[in-house]
Amino acid sequence: MDFRLTEEQELIRANIREFCQQYLDPIAVEIDENSRHPQEVFDRLAEMGFMGMPYPQEYGGAGTDFLTYAMVVEEISRSCAGTGFTFSCHTGLGTGPIYEYGTEEQKQKYLVPLCKGQKWGAFALTEPGAGTDVNAATTVAVADGDEWVINGTKTFISQGTFADIFIVFARTDPAAGPKGISAFIVTKDNPGLKVGEHFRKMGIRCSQTAEIILKDCRVPRSDMLGKEGNGLRMAMASLDNGRIGIAAQAVGILQAALDESLKYASQRIQFNKPIGRQQAIQWMIADMATDLAAARHLTYHAATLKDQGLPYTKEASMAKLFASEAAMRHASKAVQIHGGYGYMKGQKVERLLRDAKITEIYEGTSEAQRMVIAGNVMR
Amino acid sequence: MPDIITCFKWAVDEADIRPQASGEVALDRVGYKISEYDRNALEAAAQLKEAHGGSVTAITVATPAAKKGLKDALSRGPDRACFVNDAAFDALEPAQTAALLAGVIRDRLPFDLILCGEGSSDLYAQQVGPRLAQELGIPCVTYVNRITLEGSTLLAERKLEDGIEVVKVELPALVTVLPDINTPRIPGLKDTLEASKKPVQSVGPGEAGGEFPARLQTVALRATSMERRCVRFPADDAGIRELVEALRKSGAIG
Ligand SMILES: Cc1cc2nc3c(=O)[nH]c(=O)nc-3n(C[C@H](O)[C@H](O)[C@H](O)COP(=O)(O)OP(=O)(O)OC[C@H]3O[C@@H](n4cnc5c(N)ncnc54)[C@H](O)[C@@H]3O)c2cc1C
Repeated sequence: MDFRLTEEQELIRANIREFCQQYLDPIAVEIDENSRHPQEVFDRLAEMGFMGMPYPQEYGGAGTDFLTYAMVVEEISRSCAGTGFTFSCHTGLGTGPIYEYGTEEQKQKYLVPLCKGQKWGAFALTEPGAGTDVNAATTVAVADGDEWVINGTKTFISQGTFADIFIVFARTDPAAGPKGISAFIVTKDNPGLKVGEHFRKMGIRCSQTAEIILKDCRVPRSDMLGKEGNGLRMAMASLDNGRIGIAAQAVGILQAALDESLKYASQRIQFNKPIGRQQAIQWMIADMATDLAAARHLTYHAATLKDQGLPYTKEASMAKLFASEAAMRHASKAVQIHGGYGYMKGQKVERLLRDAKITEIYEGTSEAQRMVIAGNVMR
Repeated sequence: MPDIITCFKWAVDEADIRPQASGEVALDRVGYKISEYDRNALEAAAQLKEAHGGSVTAITVATPAAKKGLKDALSRGPDRACFVNDAAFDALEPAQTAALLAGVIRDRLPFDLILCGEGSSDLYAQQVGPRLAQELGIPCVTYVNRITLEGSTLLAERKLEDGIEVVKVELPALVTVLPDINTPRIPGLKDTLEASKKPVQSVGPGEAGGEFPARLQTVALRATSMERRCVRFPADDAGIRELVEALRKSGAIG
């Protein structure tokens, strides 16, 4: 497979990189420390046409391919993985399902402002008792005249505190098991929707994660997304696509770990020479660079399959699994290369290590990815 | 409504230059970019067009490998580009570049104003702008950090060592700009995607007229190196004398 980037892709990468150096690097420590959502950065990204970029222009997107989008997620994450995640979670999980499964009316009403970055999207699947085991969901939706009435609690919902449009999964047929879950579009002004405080987290602290409580939350029938009973299938397909975003986020973290390690290894003098002249450090850097290349290839490969309309479930899981575990391994090595300085707040590698961990957990844990991969290769 | 030409050079990205252990500088893996101050010239042109209308044409003289630079330049505001290219143009010196630009502009590109960066980020000879103005027989204003246009009169602030000089010049004219004239925009996604659709006029090998034999030859390219000796001198009179003596011995001071 040929991953030579086009001239356009190379320019887009250079531009988003310059953007991040100018607007994101200078605030990355502050938004991590204060757990602050950097809306001002997203306003600029929206102005520059990056929000909703892989969706068609007629819906307010830029109509780029998914590979270009993955590259942009990677570059933003290289600067700040929390911001990269908010970008990818909004674009992938928060927006994708409406593009894939929405009616034309729903697309005009919800997809267009989501793509233009005027509204924020969120994906509400996980519940306190239903994480990896999504089918254990207990949120229910009961038909009542022209409306559905939703009751239940969703947790760990990214963008939860400021999202305008939530895609909520709820059981519509208690007897039908995995085929009894449906998806709904719920807007933040719905009086039946309550958003909790955002959780204090180890990493990606600028991303806002919150609990969502649905209490007699009434939505019109026209706001059911996709077919009744098709919710879990839609959620799984959306997660396939989201996983490419998380893989790209992990690749960005890996690249940042390498950038920082290279810089430090050539600057830090011990025993009268840069530590980078020691074989022990060189080997860590060699392994880091090799896993980065492998992770990037897996990620771009999965994105390219998606662009070509080919199945990519297994490849997206492989990319997410490998890239996230490599990011965790090497963020730790990057701290090691920095010694005691790497353990201090304000050092980028310290943040990278905290940020890397989440990539092994959300949008399917490493264990869940291995289940998907095994299920695909062992059938 | 002025017709503006902006000249840009596709130059080695200095951020990619790394010295080898041997002290040699290898340029085989470096990236290229629009020369730093030429980005300011492109931005100045885009702002003038936003304020006064008219048109902007970006022009570069380069080897065919600089094709990517055209998209980059076009994503920064120009309406069209002119690409004067020949594989032989890899070691042009400023007089040759200026002569080539002048030939093509005179024959094919009507203009009111030409904008150049003060100097290129590789050679920084600061010659192409003034030589081009000379070839075209138009006035040239250098070291400019502010431009105002009133009809066909241009007011330019020149930042000189001992102060600011404001000059008034009738178009057509050529201006070379300093980096503090503006902050170049970062092209948005749509700017990049639309750049591919803008027209590019290619002036290919032999079409520019004249012979341009390479007159510049790179004999060697070596990195400066820094040697750390890690010698400590006490902070007293004797120590300072010792330090001066050591510096003298090493030839660092005379
Ligand atoms: C910061 C953050 C943001 C999030 N954002 C969102 C969001 O926007 N929307 C959303 O819907 N969800 C979101 N989530 C939820 C996330 O996807 C879940 O946390 C994840 O799927 C794991 O579920 P869990 O936390 O309940 O862990 P559990 O499922 O309880 O897993 C605990 C452990 O058991 C393992 N395990 C579970 N089942 C098996 C099995 N069958 N075989 C082997 N091992 C198993 C897991 O791999 C894990 O190691 C977010 C979570 C976090 C932390």
